[in-house]
Amino acid sequence: MSASPSLADYRQTWQRWFQRWIARRGPTRPPLTLKYRQIFILPTRFGWALGLLMFAMLMGSLNFNNNLGLLTTFIVAGLASNSMLLAFRNLQQLNILRTGATPVFAGRTAHLLVTLNNTARRERPGLELKHDDSTQMFSLGAEQFTEVAVPIATRQRGWQQLGRLRIQTSHPIGLFEAWSWFWPERPILVWPAPAANPPRWPDHAADHIGALPRERADGDEFFSLRPWRLGDSLHRVAWKASQRHDSLLSRELRQLQSPDLRFDLGQTPGANLEDRISILTAWVLRAHREERSWTLTLGAGSLGPDRGEQHLHACLRALAEH
Amino acid sequence: MAQLPAHPLPPFNAVAWTVAAFVTAAAPHLLAMPIWLAGAVLLVCAWRLAAAHYRWRPPPALLRLSIAGIGIGLIIFAFGGLWGRRTATALLCVMLAAKMLEMFTMRDLRLVASVCFFLIATQFLFNERLVYLGYLVLGSLLATIALYRIQEIRVGPGRADLAGEVVGARGGALLLVMAVPVALTLFVLFPRLAQPLWGLPDQVMDGRTGLSDEMSPGSISNLFLDDSPAFRVEFDGLPPPPEQRYWRGPVLWNFNGNTWSRPFFSDTPRQSFVPVGPRGLSYRVQLEPHERRWLFVLDFPVSGPDTATLTVDHQMLHRHPVTTLMQYEVVSNPDFVDMPSLPAGLRTLATRLPEDRNPRTLALAAQLRQRYSDDRELIQSVLSWFREEAFYYTLRPSPLGRHGVDEFLFDLRSGFCEHYASAFAVLMRAAGIPTRVITGYQGGFWQAGSQYLLVRQSDAHAWNEVWLEGSGWTRVDPTAAVSPARIEQGARSVLDAPRHLLDRDWIQNLRNRYDRIQHLWNRWVLGFDHQRQQRLLERLGLPDMSVERIALLMIVMLSLVSALLAWLVLQPRRLSPRSDAEKAWQRMLRRLRRQGFVKQAQETPLEFATRVQTGMHPAGPEFMRLTQLYCRVHYGNQGSETARFLTGAKAFSPSRT
Repeated sequence: MSASPSLADYRQTWQRWFQRWIARRGPTRPPLTLKYRQIFILPTRFGWALGLLMFAMLMGSLNFNNNLGLLTTFIVAGLASNSMLLAFRNLQQLNILRTGATPVFAGRTAHLLVTLNNTARRERPGLELKHDDSTQMFSLGAEQFTEVAVPIATRQRGWQQLGRLRIQTSHPIGLFEAWSWFWPERPILVWPAPAANPPRWPDHAADHIGALPRERADGDEFFSLRPWRLGDSLHRVAWKASQRHDSLLSRELRQLQSPDLRFDLGQTPGANLEDRISILTAWVLRAHREERSWTLTLGAGSLGPDRGEQHLHACLRALAEH
Repeated sequence: MAQLPAHPLPPFNAVAWTVAAFVTAAAPHLLAMPIWLAGAVLLVCAWRLAAAHYRWRPPPALLRLSIAGIGIGLIIFAFGGLWGRRTATALLCVMLAAKMLEMFTMRDLRLVASVCFFLIATQFLFNERLVYLGYLVLGSLLATIALYRIQEIRVGPGRADLAGEVVGARGGALLLVMAVPVALTLFVLFPRLAQPLWGLPDQVMDGRTGLSDEMSPGSISNLFLDDSPAFRVEFDGLPPPPEQRYWRGPVLWNFNGNTWSRPFFSDTPRQSFVPVGPRGLSYRVQLEPHERRWLFVLDFPVSGPDTATLTVDHQMLHRHPVTTLMQYEVVSNPDFVDMPSLPAGLRTLATRLPEDRNPRTLALAAQLRQRYSDDRELIQSVLSWFREEAFYYTLRPSPLGRHGVDEFLFDLRSGFCEHYASAFAVLMRAAGIPTRVITGYQGGFWQAGSQYLLVRQSDAHAWNEVWLEGSGWTRVDPTAAVSPARIEQGARSVLDAPRHLLDRDWIQNLRNRYDRIQHLWNRWVLGFDHQRQQRLLERLGLPDMSVERIALLMIVMLSLVSALLAWLVLQPRRLSPRSDAEKAWQRMLRRLRRQGFVKQAQETPLEFATRVQTGMHPAGPEFMRLTQLYCRVHYGNQGSETARFLTGAKAFSPSRT
């Protein structure tokens, strides 16, 4: 016997039904073009208030058989019906091309960039992009496109699922609000927050006797001069030295290398997994800053040894996903 | 409202438009209130503008509250309470002005701008004349622009320069113009109530007066300066001649020596049946509101509207005071004999006079009675006495004392119609002839171009009815004996000097012309009621429409109009107009198409020209030359060669070469 469904269950069922209903009306993820089936419209609070005022005017004018009063009332009614039409037009055929965000560290504000394109030959003033509590106001000129940054608060590392976005407008006089829902193309990646005061990383040099700084060919630090060989590029020719020696000399470059760093989740100090991950994050960032090469081992898999931007991003992503 | 400073102050232009909309919508209301109160309202508006300009913060809450309180106090002081419609609208104006003191958020601005529509609508409870159409248009326009500008606050500061204002004003104006089709559809097809839902207003005259239900010296001559229309009449056929245009209003029986008033049985419905008769006259009256119950008719009304009753003395009384423009149809029978026999009670009432008054008149009556035994002869002798003696018709009679009729008949001998009617009635009653006084209107201006009779307030008149054996109540107009021109040519004709500065013939002419438009306006716009709606639909081939069916028709038409509007609004905007060079180029392409050379979409002009040339068309080289020219003109910056290209393109004819 199952327990009787709680209120939360009902709400979930309702939300699922609602989302399916929305999804049936057209694509819900960019790229999409807003069609009439996806645009909803309702009076705003001001719209309801004006409706009430209109009702009072209507009853008074009808009762007193006051035709000019009626005409005034009907002009307001005409304004209302037009503003409904114009609010709808302001969204109709608007292209939402893509959404995307650059990853951020947990706790920072991510910016979801929504690219909108107005292919129509008329401007779309007074658009609003709403997500949770934040609202971005913008206007689109005729045949213009724009990127709107929606700030998103991040708390936890990993892929953060985003709720639906609402694009809305109450142009031209705020009586009606037309809106449409869409979901971001993909969740945003939140890197773990780096530990504020990480301990010194383990110095593995001590474990490997003779693991002195190695040299690697084709670095960017000067090493020695040698006779020019076919294939050496011209900018490596040491012109002044060649003049002195009356023969072409090439610079030989080497890369001085400190020993590889090895970061292992299993050997990282820290009270819990999150602590260790944030310490690892701090280390990885520092290693990158110091232009060192490092290996990151997380459980079974490991990345590196390598260095550079791409390796950093791969490590941060692995840390976020772990 | 501690968090108020957190809101940014609204921009000046939004505030300015809102204040402008308010002042325009409130203007007629302000004119109707005491000048110092209107001044106070305007002062607050000026303060609000200054506050917007100098970026002042709203005043503290306590100050705002006390100003609102003072406002209510001033209203009570000025209007003697909070009752009545003028008071209500004045209160609304004052409260909106008080609202301006705290009008610092978008919501407050919107509130003031939208209530402007309400303010406009309430003004029409007082006056619906044609000029107020301008007021309606201007007020709605400003309020719409204000709403449009207020909305722009939300998006961020709009352009504050003149061009920005023009864009905003155009946006608002366009919105209003687009509202017109829907408004007109609703206006024509919205089902009208045949009966009001609740009580009708009581004050509409704004201090003006109409015909009173009493007659004392001066009560009618006051109206003589008022040229505003009292009512308009359309006849089936020609109107009766001027001497028969007696528009019956209140019938007065009681005389207290100074004032004539209506008797206790005035409102009793009549029992007698009035046939239409061979000379029965059918006409429609369009009565301006006058806050009284009577509807003016020609003698003797046969039938009137359902909402009116006919009384024993043939007054037509409406169910409630006429406070909106009212139309009614009447049939009158001028040949009807009213009361061939007079009941004794009525005879007593119609010959009663106050005691100890007008001894000289009574003596004269006794003397006349001795000389003439026949009532008709007696009346004739009095009328010829009026005619032959030095009686004058004047607008500025001297005030009369206790023996008013004596003084008038024997000493002053100059007066207005009311003096003659009153004196004549007293003389007749003293001679034992039953007499009553009728007040109403006499005459009217025949608008030949529009076929209606215009009766003005200044046509107000008083006359008598005497009861005669054999002919019942018979109309006698002593004023006609003194001044026949008054009856034949209207009240204005008897004066030798203009009544006031603007009393000139050409102005009167203009007024008559203007009244024709006003008449059309009244007829088609203001008078468009339940019956007219039915008649219009009938004429469109939809007879016998119930309210439900009219409502259905309205919904259908509204959908059609909205669909049409939606189609217009949602249509993609057209490409910008092409240049002359582009048009000429397209024409050349069309000519070549007839020769079998069709330019493909992906071909550039020069590629196409090359193809034409290699296609061995005789016009090829010429076309190539023109294409190169076109490319320079259209894509390059060679505007100076446009004329050369245009003449070349015009002469280009691939079929002839």
